[in-house]
Amino acid sequence: MNDSKRASLGMEIALIIAALLFMLPVLYLVAMTFKEPGIFYKPLKLPDQLYLEYYKQALGVEFFRSLWNTLLITIGGLSLTIFVASMAGYALSRRKERGFQIFFYLFMSGMIIPTVGSLIPLFKLATSLHLINTRLLLVFLYTAGFIPFASFLYAAFTKSIPRELEESANIDGCGSVRTFWVIIFPLLLPATGTFILTNAYGIWNDFLTPLIFLNSSEKMTLMPMIVQFIFNKQSTNFGPVFAISVLAMLPLLLFFILTQKHMLKGLVMGSVKG
Amino acid sequence: MNLKRKQVVAASLFLVPAAAIFLLFFYVPFIQSIYYSFTDWSGIGAPTFIGWDNYLHVWKDPHMTEGLKNSLKMAIFGLLVQNSLALLVAISLNRQFRTRSFIRTAFYLPVIISLVVASVVWGQMLQFDGFINAVLNQIGLGAITEDWLGNVKTSFPSIILLTQWQAIGYCAIIYLAGLQAIPKDMYEAAEIEGARGFSLFRYITLPMLMPAVSIVLFLTVVGALKLFDLPYILTNGGPGTSSYTLFLAVYNAAFKENNYGYATAGGIVLAIFIVIVSIVQLTFTRRKEVEL
Repeated sequence: MNDSKRASLGMEIALIIAALLFMLPVLYLVAMTFKEPGIFYKPLKLPDQLYLEYYKQALGVEFFRSLWNTLLITIGGLSLTIFVASMAGYALSRRKERGFQIFFYLFMSGMIIPTVGSLIPLFKLATSLHLINTRLLLVFLYTAGFIPFASFLYAAFTKSIPRELEESANIDGCGSVRTFWVIIFPLLLPATGTFILTNAYGIWNDFLTPLIFLNSSEKMTLMPMIVQFIFNKQSTNFGPVFAISVLAMLPLLLFFILTQKHMLKGLVMGSVKG
Repeated sequence: MNLKRKQVVAASLFLVPAAAIFLLFFYVPFIQSIYYSFTDWSGIGAPTFIGWDNYLHVWKDPHMTEGLKNSLKMAIFGLLVQNSLALLVAISLNRQFRTRSFIRTAFYLPVIISLVVASVVWGQMLQFDGFINAVLNQIGLGAITEDWLGNVKTSFPSIILLTQWQAIGYCAIIYLAGLQAIPKDMYEAAEIEGARGFSLFRYITLPMLMPAVSIVLFLTVVGALKLFDLPYILTNGGPGTSSYTLFLAVYNAAFKENNYGYATAGGIVLAIFIVIVSIVQLTFTRRKEVEL
């Protein structure tokens, strides 16, 4: 709908004002990181110089370690989900036997059942598997949480791929596994894209799961680290907390800017197909 | 027949990894939690079976009941205010104008910011000597300044308004996606039939938007029930129990008081609410979609 109605000037101005108000907290956050201690608690004062001390304090070993952990867990969780859910979604979409139907509904119920109640048994399970306080555990937990949504997404996209493709590949002597990874999986790229674009933020920004299942600072991700920073150093200056918050947000912001165009498209496909 | 059998085996093998991870890390703990919810268990030693006691206590515990009330308030606010504002934003963004992509980005920007970072900024802005009160003083509204998060009356309303900062943009983008999926010739046909303005919205836009509406309503209500990060970091449920949510009450019962059996019962109650909401929402919106 490219030639839809134009907005009136008044409406455009109202929208611009609203948009600026929405951006204000972000701008405020960034401004705070440059305010020297003397004016830090004067909320209406803008920084009058580029005060970089908070960033120097924030950019310590702790930050880079947490950044690395967050990156590992995010990429690990997304990759493992894509790996197992693409296969599962494909199988669920192609087979209509009873067993597959049961798993279809089992996965579907996973989209409704919240994980709050399961946290404690999970904690016990993780302890008995010697997975507590490991990044691998978080990768598994995120994957388990994403499997229902991702499988449905892949199942929906598989429907639009003609069966003849697999049949002809089979006749050519291509096994099921190779057929899937060489022929089908590349065609499911839009599903993969939609999944990454809509769920990368969830892992990166998650606070509760690492808070419960990780306990050493060696393994900690960015969000719980920020909260620990707040709770440990409540009496002292908040400057470094703000600086870490900006730094933790920056990679996502970059990702967002780079993928923004596809994001809207991805959401459309996710909601139409899903 | 043999080929079919081979295909079934292959497909089963495709399903196994996902099914194994899902069952082990999602379903088994969920089933276990149902058992634990009927026991008195502190995490150490064997759980003792106590029947429905935990479930009866949930309704007498002010943390849980206040948390539930707050979640309901937030859900109602979300349905009425957030939903309409998001739709308004989406309809405006669906028009043509120069600054459109800037405005779309601005509205969506808060969505990608974590609740932790949002708490850091807003916690500072809402302090008694923070930005909000300073602005109020500047424009002569000093009389209504408040310790927004430290006051029984304003703590949870402040948190609700805070959630709007992210929720409006998110829902607006879903609505926008829904609006752009409506074929343009439907409007043309309706205009030829003589439909104008509001009746176009009422008879074309709204029914066609129902799938998006159902997604947004669901996300709003479930989001209200599951809200945790903001009250945990900003107020820890206080002052008193004024800003508890059900999720926070469950978390505190489990990890602060080590009352695991009771906490899982709270978790199950929460789960039941979410399941009820999902079913009501699905049947309701599905009927609406059919009406078209």
